[in-house]
Amino acid sequence: MLTELLQGTEAGGFLIIQDSASYSGRHLLKSFINAALNREEAVHVLGFEVSEEELTEGLIGSPVQRLHFHNAYSDPLGWTDQPGFTVHQFCLEELTRLVKQTSHPKPATLVIDSLSWILRHVGAPAVCKTLQQLRKGGAVRAIMGLLHVDMHQRGTVGNVCHLATSVITVAPGTKGDEAVAKITKRSKSGKVVQDEEFFSIKTDLTVVIQSMSSQLGHKQADPEESETDPTANLTFNLRLSNTEREAKQKLALPFVFSKEKKTALLHSSPGSGRILYEPDANDDYDQEDPDDDLDV
Amino acid sequence: MFTELNSILNTTPDSFTQGEFVLLSDRRSDASFLIHHFLSLYLRARCKVLFLGLVQSFNHYSAISQRLGVSLTQAKEKGQLVFLEGLNESLSVLIPRETDTGSEAMGFLRDPAVGLKSLYEFVRSGATSSGVGEQEEWGPPVLLVDDLSVLRSLGASVDAVLDFSHYCRATVCSQLQGNVVMLARCDGEEEEDDGDDEGSERLLRGLTHQCSLTLHVQGLPTGYCRDIHGQVEVCWRRRRGDGRCTHKKLFQYKVHDKGASFFAPGTSSAVL
Repeated sequence: MLTELLQGTEAGGFLIIQDSASYSGRHLLKSFINAALNREEAVHVLGFEVSEEELTEGLIGSPVQRLHFHNAYSDPLGWTDQPGFTVHQFCLEELTRLVKQTSHPKPATLVIDSLSWILRHVGAPAVCKTLQQLRKGGAVRAIMGLLHVDMHQRGTVGNVCHLATSVITVAPGTKGDEAVAKITKRSKSGKVVQDEEFFSIKTDLTVVIQSMSSQLGHKQADPEESETDPTANLTFNLRLSNTEREAKQKLALPFVFSKEKKTALLHSSPGSGRILYEPDANDDYDQEDPDDDLDV
Repeated sequence: MFTELNSILNTTPDSFTQGEFVLLSDRRSDASFLIHHFLSLYLRARCKVLFLGLVQSFNHYSAISQRLGVSLTQAKEKGQLVFLEGLNESLSVLIPRETDTGSEAMGFLRDPAVGLKSLYEFVRSGATSSGVGEQEEWGPPVLLVDDLSVLRSLGASVDAVLDFSHYCRATVCSQLQGNVVMLARCDGEEEEDDGDDEGSERLLRGLTHQCSLTLHVQGLPTGYCRDIHGQVEVCWRRRRGDGRCTHKKLFQYKVHDKGASFFAPGTSSAVL
């Protein structure tokens, strides 16, 4: 499912990549940007968290010209006299103006790095309102955002992700460079599909999906074709004929407690001694059998 | 500076990665010995060092640096080191006297809601200025903060501290290609809190998202040991040349008089 999402979101789509301090979702976000650029789409990036150099590191080739980075990293709060894009400019009018600045025939894809930065300064209701207006507005074709779930309350995360058409939660995987992505996709008809995939990102920003079975170390799933018959090609016979197999199944093993053995042991044969017990005054003779509740 | 830590981090005074944001953190332990390492490392590397010493006096840092072979007084006189003595400055903000320098760096103490913009202005002017009459050219600027958690206890909110660290990173790391080293401390156990708005954990998570290298100091999980003072988990977050995104390594350490030694778990000289 990750590959499908990488191939493009439908118009009006809103993708959120959720990450945490243990694994950064920015690499996956860069893969999505790379995929969008390769599809000849114009990509506008609102960069709050990392500089342009760091974000475009790894993106090579001519498609980079279609990437428009709006610098919200050096001065997002207007503390210096040369502010770039400030966090208070995050509203429909400003964003539409920003995207329309570059003339491109197709509506652009807007990438927000990151939504957490904006949510820390602008309240969640305002952010949700702006995002919803952007989706319906038509100035941008699709929106992608990065969200650090461990920086906000669960309610805030839930509110923002409720607007999304697809949510990918990334977490570190069990080995090496791999990570696990839990994907939830809501289609327009209302159907919700969920999936979990292991993936790794190569240096050219392509995503490689690992199969699930390679991750389950304790379960060895052998496909039938690789199984070899150990009784073949021997100089002695290890196989059983039918009569031999029947005899084997009938054999009573020495330490298995079967019904016949039980009756033989519990019912003494006639002629063997009987035990007569006469309790005297000091004995505490309990008529009840203490082993009565055992199922032997 | 600690030579073993240098080899772990692959840094020397002559060659170190520029534009790095190093986060030092500890949980119920004391990571300030790492601050002394970075202070002496960058002073030896002839960088312009801007040190926000908010927790201890200048004499304290000076005495320890002397043992590591670096003289802070000399560096300050030559203009290589700009030192903000947080304890003195806070006092002068709260009890103004005529002899004050008038630095507004700790001005947020008057009104914590305002944020740490004035502290950032101090950092920016310290990092970008080259003093009048300075004979020597120093290397890229380095900002050291000891420590960020104390800003929270002085009234700044977690968001204000994260904004401050963001701006420091944008100016010092990205614009000036220098390095930033900040210490943040946690008191309690690592809680799985549901977005605790004001908490040292949230500050630590926010800083972890921003940084490129973390060194997390903790006590040994098995308890107190005389010969091993704790463990350090080093985590490289930025994608390095070999393509690995997040790379973690665990070491144990022992602090002694003139430095600290680092070794792989279980290989302490007391044990082998």
